[in-house]
Amino acid sequence: MPGPIGLMIWFLGTAFELTFVVCSLARKSFLRYFFLNLYVLLSTTVSIGRFLILFSYGGAESDQYMYFYFYSDALLTLALYFALISLYSHILGELRAGEYVKWVAVFLLLGTAGFTYAVVAQSTQRLSTSFAYELSQNLYFVGLVLTYILWGAVLKLRETRTRLVQIILSLGLYFSGHAASYALMNFSGRYSLIQYLTPALACFLPLSWSVTMLRHSDESRLAPAQLVAVPR
Amino acid sequence: MSRKLGALVLALGILVGAMGIKTVLTAKMQGMAMMANGPAPVPAPRYPPPKQTPPSSFN
Repeated sequence: MPGPIGLMIWFLGTAFELTFVVCSLARKSFLRYFFLNLYVLLSTTVSIGRFLILFSYGGAESDQYMYFYFYSDALLTLALYFALISLYSHILGELRAGEYVKWVAVFLLLGTAGFTYAVVAQSTQRLSTSFAYELSQNLYFVGLVLTYILWGAVLKLRETRTRLVQIILSLGLYFSGHAASYALMNFSGRYSLIQYLTPALACFLPLSWSVTMLRHSDESRLAPAQLVAVPR
Repeated sequence: MSRKLGALVLALGILVGAMGIKTVLTAKMQGMAMMANGPAPVPAPRYPPPKQTPPSSFN
């Protein structure tokens, strides 16, 4: 069973997720950022489901919780992938690269699924379980790379839409934080190090998105860097 | 056609890069990484990485 700190992080994270959806609705941006909202809503639903299963089947070590956790995680990673692709469409929309983005997204998803299947096909365990677990992991790392490429596109295209820039920055910090925690666990070999770190990162993402939604409108623009234009 | 081919090449490049990062970050975990979508507690791995033991020459 999670301790009081774990439970507090969990409730806060779920509250932040609901806050983001409410902010999107209040600022009339729900449909504009539909896939982000879909991911967050799905995450809220999954969080409630995990809570019910955790307390029905006796803790985070139970098989039921573990199976539900990893299957739902695969679903959430897939939703996050589509949310990320929708951000690409926002950024590259003016270049009329929508079709190109669509094909890259399809090929990448199929390629990841094919690669994952090739890896787990020889597994002696249940194929569907291993596949869901591996696909979730692989899609996560694909998302990490995609976020850095998207940030490169933001810099290259000199994107000034504050909301989009902050949403992408938050996502980059979220992915980078997870990658850092994996690396930390890898090198130290201690699971306890990331026990609270990863759920705390999951709180950070909806919180930062909510603040972005509240503080900035779609018309908000970043001021270009003053230093670049300083006359001699 | 060339547009689709370009998309395919880009997708493969991203996939190779992503799997490379995964390999580096999870080298000692036998490819096992912890997913963490949502703030729920992450189940502890059932198959923890082997503990580091000093080489026999140190004993």
